[in-house]
Amino acid sequence: MILPFIPKGHHAMNAHLHAVGLKKAYRKGRSLEVPVLHGVDFSIEKGEMVAIVGASGSGKSTLLHLLGLLDGPDEGHIYLNGERIDQQPDKKRDHLRNTAFGFVFQSYHLMPELTALENVLMPQLIRLSPWQWFSQKKQLKRDAAEWLERVGLGHRGKHKPSELSGGEMQRTAIARALAGNPQIILADEPTGNLDAESGESVMKLLRDLNRERGMTMIVVTHDLNVARQADRIVRLNQGLVESFTPVLAA
Amino acid sequence: MYKYLLCWRYLKTRYIALASVISVMLGVATMIVVNSVMAGFAHTMRDRLHGILADVVVESYDLDGFWDWRDVQSIIQKECGDLVEATAPTMETFGLLKMYLPDGQAVTRQVMVIGIRPEDRAKTGDFSEFIQDDAGKPIKPGFEVPKNWQTNSPAGHLLKDTPKDDPLHDILKQQAGEQVPDRGAIVGYALATIHRPGSSTDDFIAPPGSRIGLAFPKSGRKPEAAYDDYTVVGYFKSGMSEYDSMHVYVPLERLQYMRMLGDGLGAGAVNQIQIQVKPGVNINEIAGRLQRVLDSRRPMYFRVATWEQKQGPLLEAVKIEQFILNVLLFLIIAVAGFGILAIFSMIVVEKTRDIGVLKALGASTSGVRGIFLSYGLALSIVGCGAGMIEGLLIVHYLNDIENVINSLTGTRVFNPDIYYFSEIPTLVEPWTVAGIVLGAIAIAVTASVWPAQRASKLHPVQALRFE
Repeated sequence: MILPFIPKGHHAMNAHLHAVGLKKAYRKGRSLEVPVLHGVDFSIEKGEMVAIVGASGSGKSTLLHLLGLLDGPDEGHIYLNGERIDQQPDKKRDHLRNTAFGFVFQSYHLMPELTALENVLMPQLIRLSPWQWFSQKKQLKRDAAEWLERVGLGHRGKHKPSELSGGEMQRTAIARALAGNPQIILADEPTGNLDAESGESVMKLLRDLNRERGMTMIVVTHDLNVARQADRIVRLNQGLVESFTPVLAA
Repeated sequence: MYKYLLCWRYLKTRYIALASVISVMLGVATMIVVNSVMAGFAHTMRDRLHGILADVVVESYDLDGFWDWRDVQSIIQKECGDLVEATAPTMETFGLLKMYLPDGQAVTRQVMVIGIRPEDRAKTGDFSEFIQDDAGKPIKPGFEVPKNWQTNSPAGHLLKDTPKDDPLHDILKQQAGEQVPDRGAIVGYALATIHRPGSSTDDFIAPPGSRIGLAFPKSGRKPEAAYDDYTVVGYFKSGMSEYDSMHVYVPLERLQYMRMLGDGLGAGAVNQIQIQVKPGVNINEIAGRLQRVLDSRRPMYFRVATWEQKQGPLLEAVKIEQFILNVLLFLIIAVAGFGILAIFSMIVVEKTRDIGVLKALGASTSGVRGIFLSYGLALSIVGCGAGMIEGLLIVHYLNDIENVINSLTGTRVFNPDIYYFSEIPTLVEPWTVAGIVLGAIAIAVTASVWPAQRASKLHPVQALRFE
């Protein structure tokens, strides 16, 4: 049975992040259009951890990109704290990506020229003008070092990404996502490139952060073991929400 | 802030991009060297031209000149007396020079015969600095023939042993005067000498004390030539071959007399008045003022020109040469700009995923563009700075470099005999250097605009998925 995505008694306007009727298609060449999302509804409450699962090509990553304002929907609306954000001008969307969302990618995407500490500082470096940066530099560096410490890499701050293992790089990427003090963490296959042990430790870290700090998290994964650590699992199939399952019932 | 951090890191790690600005560096260095050498040549040439010519020249269109030159001098004094330092009446005409060789042959050359009063001419321009003897030592400008030259002539030797009452005495005296005329002439150095290829010294065909013959047009209704003999008493060597191979200076009164334009005692016509003005005075303004006043006295008769106007074509030619050379050299930097464009485009492709991450983390379109523009600016500053230092060092040690090349190749790169300069003249003009550096920076930054724009327009999702 296909369950409605928004459960009863779960008022959309109370949601932390809320999307209605999202449609997205990609164009290949001049005439070929590949529909990816056919009208997806999605909602997540503050402090909740939701896993989005589905087969390859089901639209998981596309949904995550739309929710994180990396791309715009063809149809549908996205609300953050009740405010519509998908139609905001580019400048405002850039600002929201910098302040409201923290991204964690499957391939870590750390800047190879920068050290781990500098990578963690990147959201702040983007946010601040040179003057603001120099006046707050010491405090910001201390905070970034603390985040590195929190993900267990306090001793690796001066190392370049090429000197870190996969697990360490992903932890650094998580620290980077957290250092910008975002409202929501969006993780796209965070354990996809890691061995079982490192993947386990990264998921534990995300789960702990969610529980300790009440941080809202959306994790895209195809690994059910990873998904089971979330509060809810949203299953996508061919661009539609197939099921919405609280983890206890899964 | 991230723009500057990334720009700095790219600068430190992307050596391929640094290689791309080597061509900018070489272009800037070449332009500085070429401009400094050309400016040095032009400056030295202007100095010499200005030294030869007075600041302002009043001349008549008629080669026979004007008799009332003292009145013209008074007008000059009246109009601009407080601005004028000195004036010199001069008679200038075309002529033929004959130099007699010891074997009986004669060499004939076309010359400009200039009648001057040495003491007056020395006050207008650097004329006195260019007068020298056969050994190259400076001598005082003058036309006096030393007495012993006549007594040392073949006839003079015989005259010494001939009693005054001897009928031959007067004949020998006349012959001594013919062999060594008592009228001196200062001859252009290039006229009086021959430079044999491979020789380090010049051979004199008109050594000091030798007799020369001059023919020049007489005044009168029919074109007729006058002929006169002179003794070479000095040489005029300005370093400008145009003058050194043409000018022959003779006493003004004698030239006036021989051209039938004077009594030989002071009264006579001149066709030029050279004017030296005080430092800092606007010579164009003086020339314009004098032209108006003299036109009102005798319309269409006088031409007043500054030394720059008289040498206009030569100075203009140097300017045009310098301009064309600069255009060609700037094209080299423009080509280097395309190199930067290509390498920057490559870097943008290489950095596509990083650009996607930056956008995901909130970097704006203008911010991403700013990374690559500031990177282009930083690279061009490095390239142009290095080029400027290299260029200035080459200019500073240019003559030492030339000596090294000379000793390695065994040939003279810069032959002082051709240019009359003992070493390659250079002049570093700060504004020119600044113009070259700023122009090169502008080209390099312009070349990075398109790749920067391309980077800024990348879609974050497509950039993140880029393999």
